[in-house]
Amino acid sequence: MSETSYAVLGLFDTPDALMQAIPKVRAAKIGAVEAYTPYPIHGIDEALGLRRSPLGGMVLVMGVIGALTAFGFQYWISAIDYPIVTGGKSPASWEAFIPIMFEVTVLFATFTAGLGMLLLLNKLPFFGHPILSSQSIKGITRDRYALALEAESEAFDSVAAARILGEVGAVTVEVLPAPDRSPFLTSDFILRTLGGIFAACVVAGLAIFLTIKWFPVLAPMSYMQDQPRLNAQKPSTFFKDGRGMQMPVAGTVARGHLPRAAGSQEAAATLINPLPRTKEVFAVGRKAYANRCEVCHGALGNGVGSLTAAYGGKPANLQAKQFLDYPDGKIYWAIVNGKNAMPSHAADLTEAQRWSVVHYVRALQRAQNAKDEDLKVVAP
Amino acid sequence: MSALNKTSNLLWGAVTLGALGVLGTYSAAGPQRFWANWVLWFVLIFTLGLGALFIVALEHLVNAKWSVPIRRLPERIATLLLPVIPVGLIGLGAIPVLYPGARPEAAHHPILAGKAFWLSLPFFSVRTLIAFALCVLALALLVGGSLKQDATKDPAFNIRARKFAPAFMAIFALVITMIAFDWISGLTPEWYSDIFGVYVFAGAFLSGLATTLLAVLYLQEQNRLEGVRADHLYNLGAFLFAFTVFWSYIGFAQYMLMWYANFPDEVIYYKVRLTGSWRAITIALAGLHFILPFFALVTRDAKRDPKRLRRVAYLMLGAHVLDIYWLIFPILGARPYFSWPEISFALFFLGGSLLWLRAAMQKGEDMPVGDPFLREGLEFRL
Repeated sequence: MSETSYAVLGLFDTPDALMQAIPKVRAAKIGAVEAYTPYPIHGIDEALGLRRSPLGGMVLVMGVIGALTAFGFQYWISAIDYPIVTGGKSPASWEAFIPIMFEVTVLFATFTAGLGMLLLLNKLPFFGHPILSSQSIKGITRDRYALALEAESEAFDSVAAARILGEVGAVTVEVLPAPDRSPFLTSDFILRTLGGIFAACVVAGLAIFLTIKWFPVLAPMSYMQDQPRLNAQKPSTFFKDGRGMQMPVAGTVARGHLPRAAGSQEAAATLINPLPRTKEVFAVGRKAYANRCEVCHGALGNGVGSLTAAYGGKPANLQAKQFLDYPDGKIYWAIVNGKNAMPSHAADLTEAQRWSVVHYVRALQRAQNAKDEDLKVVAP
Repeated sequence: MSALNKTSNLLWGAVTLGALGVLGTYSAAGPQRFWANWVLWFVLIFTLGLGALFIVALEHLVNAKWSVPIRRLPERIATLLLPVIPVGLIGLGAIPVLYPGARPEAAHHPILAGKAFWLSLPFFSVRTLIAFALCVLALALLVGGSLKQDATKDPAFNIRARKFAPAFMAIFALVITMIAFDWISGLTPEWYSDIFGVYVFAGAFLSGLATTLLAVLYLQEQNRLEGVRADHLYNLGAFLFAFTVFWSYIGFAQYMLMWYANFPDEVIYYKVRLTGSWRAITIALAGLHFILPFFALVTRDAKRDPKRLRRVAYLMLGAHVLDIYWLIFPILGARPYFSWPEISFALFFLGGSLLWLRAAMQKGEDMPVGDPFLREGLEFRL
């Protein structure tokens, strides 16, 4: 009784002898029966009672998952997260997804087949299978057919195994010692692996650095850089006047910038703020006010902004009685056309932003002159 | 023997009944519907014969050994190309009725005027006759030579067939493309697709395979194919499985490119087939021609299970009929026609084909006994 042996190997001269021996050896029930032959032999799978490989099922499942993954990604990007209509097609056009789904299905399936076979089922990496260091390996890779009884537990009886192999007609019988099963991930191994990766990175990095330094770099694709286009503040041969930037066509206005308040401030007094007083509108007005108005008029609208102290200017105090009585239209007119030292903000603020600022200024005024009933509205 | 006679009587009855319906169709349902049905069955039987001949030639081309024991069956099925010749010659009568390119108005059509010579009745007929002649030539060389070999046992036939097979592939590509472009695509001459011939080829090969499979299973049941095992069935099943994917790949690629480009003269073809009842048929076609057979055959056991293979083969043939119907019948209108004329035509042509195949199955040996590779083929294991 030798617990340390890995397997007992019996060599046969012909495949027929091997095939005839298999059922007898299996009937003895000593260890796992495995055959090693120089080429595949028909019917040996059934004779050895090998289980059906689960690889096909794994590949099918992973292939389906691949298809669903690709569909999910594309559907999420094209139809939910960033829907853009291209070519007049619906963003959720499944037809356009199919090629990618096909590719990802194949990708998942082949990776499952390859890696599943190597890593999961064949349990690689596995350095130095004991059979490879046996005396019989030369024969097995040439013209001999080996049957191995492999130890499944500590109770493996190699003497009985050798006897039964001799009885069923093995020409030679060889007992293989147990392989070295010391831990695979030793600190030495890890250090050497990491060191190797580091060295490879250094070499590759240096090579890339020096290549780029010593040899002229060719731009791989410059179509997007070199495309004919108009640059801001740059000349262009496209237009007759040689400028890249053009004035708007006479009589046209950009979207969102209509209408501009015309005439005098008094005439504008009758204009009515078209926007409703909603949270969103106040948020827009607050942001625009903070960006454009606050430096002079101050966060409270009382004319004390950061520029006031720095330059000694005297911006309007919007909390003054005069401005509390102003109609909306006159504030709007001032934003569009500017007043006294205040420049026009028509170019910076869209139509909606200007009216939002008007609302916000009204809110600032009311906040500074709050009445009792205002508190009731805020209280829950 | 009485059972055989009974089947025979039944088939003759179906053919007679069908023939009455066919004649009735012309007078009652009008020439358009008559000729559409006629072209449908001409294309179906022709592609079946051609697909079977392709299987025979493929074996010689790649020097396959496993298929030698069952080669006689596609050879027999390929002889359907003989009775289909008169069907095609009569079918030439459909050209002035169904094919817009051959009508006198075509001369004033902005697109068709340029193709007038190609689409005209004389040149159309000449091309069809050339296709028939090439088929008869290939049949004589591949099938006739194989039958002769039964007696002579002369291996020289294998060498001849192997030399002819590459040439046959060129002939085959030409013939099936001509038939697809002229007889099917010619119904909508403003529309064209370069891949259309390949699409029809995929269907033809599938129908040839399915019929071969059914013939193998039928003869196996009668113990006439001693030595043909599940391994041979597996290969046929694997071919069937692979080509369902090929068919849908080609079919979808053709659709997707046209859908993307969205040219009016191209998408109209699909617009017609994706509207109303035709939409349901299109979806059914995808399910019956691809999804169902694909998942039915995906496992290893399914490809060697005679019961499942027989069902899938019947399904495949049905789907092929639906496929060609889907290609031809939308020219008749937005409503898919299916009524007694279609059933009569099916009875007539199916009954006729089966009678021909039954007679063919009784002739000569069931295996190519003169082929030197027969034994190797019988010993084939996966």
